[in-house]
Amino acid sequence: MTKNDTPKSEPKTPHGEVQRIEKREAESAPARLDFSKLDLTVEKVEERISPSETNVFDK
Amino acid sequence: MIQRPGFPISLIFPPQGHFTQPYLALPCLKAWLVQHGFDDVELVDANIDAYDRFLSREYLTRARDRVRERLPHKRFAGRAQLEFRELAAFRAATEAEVSADALIERIDDAKSIVRGGAFHDIERYIPATRTIYHALRLVSAAHFPSELTPHNFTTGYANDRSREVLAATLDETQNPFIDHFRTHVLPDLIARSPRVVGMSVIYGSQLIPALTLGRMIKAALPDCHITAGGGFLAYIGAKLMAAPGIDACLDSIIFHEGESPLLALCERLRDGHELGDVGSLTWFDRSRGGVRTVTNALGHPIKLDDAPPPDFGGLPLARYFSPELVIPYDINRGCYYGECTFCTLPTVIGPGYRTRSAATIADHIVRLRDELGTRNVNFITDCMPPGMIRDLPHELIARRADIRWWSDARVEPKAYTPEGARKLHESGCRKLLFGFETATPRLLKMMMKGQSLKSTIEVATNCARAGISVTFYAMVGFPTETRAEAQATVDFLVEHKDIVREVSLQTFHIDEVAKTYREPEAFGIKILSDPAADLQLYHDYEAASGMTQTEAAEVFEDMMASLRAHYPLFTGDNIFFFMQKSHYFLHLARGVTPDEFNDRCRRRAERRASAGPEAALSVGEDTRLLAVPFSYTETLAKLAHPLARAARPDFLTGRFVESAENVAARELGAIQRKERVLVYCGETAEFAEIRPDGARALDALRQCGSLGELLDLLPAHDQAARANLTSFAAELHRLGVLTTLQSASARA
Repeated sequence: MTKNDTPKSEPKTPHGEVQRIEKREAESAPARLDFSKLDLTVEKVEERISPSETNVFDK
Repeated sequence: MIQRPGFPISLIFPPQGHFTQPYLALPCLKAWLVQHGFDDVELVDANIDAYDRFLSREYLTRARDRVRERLPHKRFAGRAQLEFRELAAFRAATEAEVSADALIERIDDAKSIVRGGAFHDIERYIPATRTIYHALRLVSAAHFPSELTPHNFTTGYANDRSREVLAATLDETQNPFIDHFRTHVLPDLIARSPRVVGMSVIYGSQLIPALTLGRMIKAALPDCHITAGGGFLAYIGAKLMAAPGIDACLDSIIFHEGESPLLALCERLRDGHELGDVGSLTWFDRSRGGVRTVTNALGHPIKLDDAPPPDFGGLPLARYFSPELVIPYDINRGCYYGECTFCTLPTVIGPGYRTRSAATIADHIVRLRDELGTRNVNFITDCMPPGMIRDLPHELIARRADIRWWSDARVEPKAYTPEGARKLHESGCRKLLFGFETATPRLLKMMMKGQSLKSTIEVATNCARAGISVTFYAMVGFPTETRAEAQATVDFLVEHKDIVREVSLQTFHIDEVAKTYREPEAFGIKILSDPAADLQLYHDYEAASGMTQTEAAEVFEDMMASLRAHYPLFTGDNIFFFMQKSHYFLHLARGVTPDEFNDRCRRRAERRASAGPEAALSVGEDTRLLAVPFSYTETLAKLAHPLARAARPDFLTGRFVESAENVAARELGAIQRKERVLVYCGETAEFAEIRPDGARALDALRQCGSLGELLDLLPAHDQAARANLTSFAAELHRLGVLTTLQSASARA
């Protein structure tokens, strides 16, 4: 997204989630948010390699 | 020999095998049949055909719709907690929902990158590969609880129970191949109407798909004889042919090497003769009403040096998921050493060791190079004897073969000398994989490896100095191994990370051919059998000392974590190079040295780790957010626990136990409701989990356009707000969810 893009009138959300996200966007208008009080914790999702995926050289 | 018209033969490689290069068995069989007068032999790689179709916009769109219908994520919305048994469904439903649209949009590009010149651009290759992995998860979710990955296919049915296997061949909710075969394989077969169909079943992951296809062909073409062979059937074929109902899917099984039995089978069927003298064949005799299983005497193996080069004609060589073709070619069959107590791989080809001459190999390779237009070769061998290590480079160099090749190898200090290694490199050798197994001499002795740590490192060092990339096979959980000994193995591997580039780590398991199964007392173990598992190949065991199997599975995780922390090729998502057969090799084949590639991986990992809150950071156009009532990362952690893994029918780990799900449910417990938001960035193909507040921050960022523009809106004095936001953005940048990249559409 660039500065010149208009705000998205159709949020890129999964099926069935549109209304909820639109509501959230209204709540999340930048000026209304107090970023110091938001819980901005991030959980990492890492590819885990199971034993069934490591035998990659078998014949 | 006089060819008689009208005897079409179709040789089929059923799913699931890896998708980066063709498999060798069927081209060998085709060449042999053609050499002996059957010139209407068709090769069908139903595996790459299925992967290619499943990984398409049209199929993924169907998969997304099917997930929404069968596994809607909203079913979890009102729940206070999720039991262990529901975690896999929650994971599948949520990740499919949040990622599907981006995957549909990007799958064609991803395949083009992996197959084309962009393959060598790491920054494009990794997201493309991850897109392919995630797209397969979408396909899997559509057939939940089945899981199709690049390396495996499992369903909710146990692979070691014939009743379940047969049920899986009829269950369209879990088996994606029923529809695929019906619409994309069967019509061509019906039009061709082969007299014989031969299927190569090398892996356990092919069993259900092969029997599915066999059943469908038998129904459509009742006069066609359907036979199957290959490594996995060499293990369980006798049990399979004794199981009720298999005659609906197959007519016969060929054991061990296929050339001679398949030729004899085709000749008898063509000439209308009995099958009783076809060597190494077990078949269903339907001649007297009813069905009788007949096991013929073992046949004689062929003289390998007389065999023609494999014939890859008819395979869709451009569809494999690699930018260049890598030709598999068999140097020898069987293992000249053959003493390792854990290894039964050489037995699947039949008794004895046979080899082609170095001159024959070099002649064939030059011919295949010219016919197929590629210089990349994967020599298929358990290991090369010292004489071959000396002679083959000489013959390749003498013919100016100018190929690049990789293969498995055994530690032979007299052959892999500094000069020997240099010669190998000169002949095009770029990667060798040695059976290191463990750093504990006591265990090496029990394994009868016939090698010392000193000689192993000496050989590896000589190869590394010659410019050959060295991979070690290692294992954890050999009977009596302790945690401390497993740790010693990791320590040793980390200590030698400048010599060894990759480690293929496996958990030890026992199959019914292994010495550990036949002489358990010699290894201090008691074999456990499951009477309900009539196709059982792998066995659980109890050890008098050392780690239990569950402990070994836990230690596997620890060992992988250490390797991923220290090996550049394993760090973060660089591991995708390791995971795709031949992909790292293809970089080496282009002239990149192992050191250079290591540096690229290291720099990439460092770059990612040091990513900061750049002002240009933005939310990608196809970044999706999904509010979820439970933590996705907590779900993944539970499902990755060794106890949870044992609850899935998985032929590779040999750890499926019927009661395991109850044990996992009891030990791992439920997860409690937590409002979270799952984020998927289509551009980088990365997931992350944030809190609802984080979603508000991302929405704000999206509305502003970039981090810099959002920061401009915040009061300059509000340092706490700015710090919280920049820290959040930097973390998402490190995880690849926020980027400074322009989207593909913007680039266009």
